[in-house]
Amino acid sequence: MDKTLFYEQMAQILDAEEVKPENVLKDFETWDSLAVLSVMAMADSKFGVAIKADEMRSAVTAADLEKLVEGKLK
Amino acid sequence: MNFTFRRKRISGILTVLPAREQSFVDDMKNFNFPEARSLKLKEVMGYDKHRIVEPSVCVSDLVVFALKHLFEKELLLPDEFDALILVTQSPDYFMPPTSNVIQGRLNLKKDLFCVDINQGCAGFVIGLIQAFLLLEQESIRKVLVVNADVLSRKTSPKDRNSYPLIGDGASITVVERDTVDSVIHANLKMDGTRNNVLMIPAGGFRRPSSPETACLEDVGDNNLRAKDHLHMDGSAVFNFVQVEVPALIADLLQHTGSSIEQVDYFFCHQPNRFMLQKLADKMRIPHAKMPSNVVENFGNSSGVTIPTAIAFNLGDRLIQEKFKVCFAGFGVGLTWGAMLLDLGRVNFNSLIDYA
Repeated sequence: MDKTLFYEQMAQILDAEEVKPENVLKDFETWDSLAVLSVMAMADSKFGVAIKADEMRSAVTAADLEKLVEGKLK
Repeated sequence: MNFTFRRKRISGILTVLPAREQSFVDDMKNFNFPEARSLKLKEVMGYDKHRIVEPSVCVSDLVVFALKHLFEKELLLPDEFDALILVTQSPDYFMPPTSNVIQGRLNLKKDLFCVDINQGCAGFVIGLIQAFLLLEQESIRKVLVVNADVLSRKTSPKDRNSYPLIGDGASITVVERDTVDSVIHANLKMDGTRNNVLMIPAGGFRRPSSPETACLEDVGDNNLRAKDHLHMDGSAVFNFVQVEVPALIADLLQHTGSSIEQVDYFFCHQPNRFMLQKLADKMRIPHAKMPSNVVENFGNSSGVTIPTAIAFNLGDRLIQEKFKVCFAGFGVGLTWGAMLLDLGRVNFNSLIDYA
């Protein structure tokens, strides 16, 4: 999985200069239902995997989301 | 399941939309949300303006208006159709059927098969399937597929998951026998285990409306909505469309031995521009072949969006020309259905305002 691409995409979705794996999602003001939908769309278009919002609920950090996408790739 | 229909055609489509237009910028005033994020929502989803009825307007008002227009212009005669299929989720009453209300208000003949179907965003495909089946009867010459909804009246203005995209409207599609040996294919699937993804929880017999069901609740992200309001689990809908719809269309194309290149237009239900463009990208369908401009101009009026997309994007061209088109509707139920047919040389294809 192209991790650089994933974090670039996350930064775009969250309107942040940079998103690091250890960043807590809730610390971003822009982490809302629109961001959740955008992550689903990004996972689909950039990595070819379909993830559900339910599966994202337990994600605390950006790395948790990355693992979720990576898990689907296998 | 697959359907095949022979010697049937669509001979006219009229869409009526409320003249009253509301803008997303107006809607924003009701949201409890930073303005920058609202504007981001507008940009990403492609929200701009939507047509909604005055709070007293009902489905039968829109449909009677549309039918009177057709009768006055002599595009349709009151006694030349033998069935009226109304597809709606917002009937005038629980009983009688709204199709009978329409029949009565227009004094239509008694040899008329009136039936209401409770369906939504797949309702155009569902209505057409029913109409084609009815046309197997000799006594039925023409069928009106009427799609109509006024769901803005059941949508919370403080719920930005649904309010900015909702639209109202009605469409009349005339279906009749074809003189040439044409074939129409359809594919339909349903999943009732996900019936709660799109629903109005209260107001039926399971949970009658009460002062309690009218109370606005915070349902997350500062969106406020009551049990009496339309509830849409946006991310579940997105996942549903992303997973099921490409497979549905691919199956239909494969089953009929057709390719994307052979299809001139994919007229899909219009939830928002975002979802449609993702769908097109996933299926490698050029955006120009899959119009996604209904929600930003008129809103999402469930079963009416495909007729609206046809009228808005093709207009009078459909009177002279003929196209290979694929319809795809998906939504409440959950239901997803697609249809492949030749569409064109119709008697009318227009959009009018209800005022």
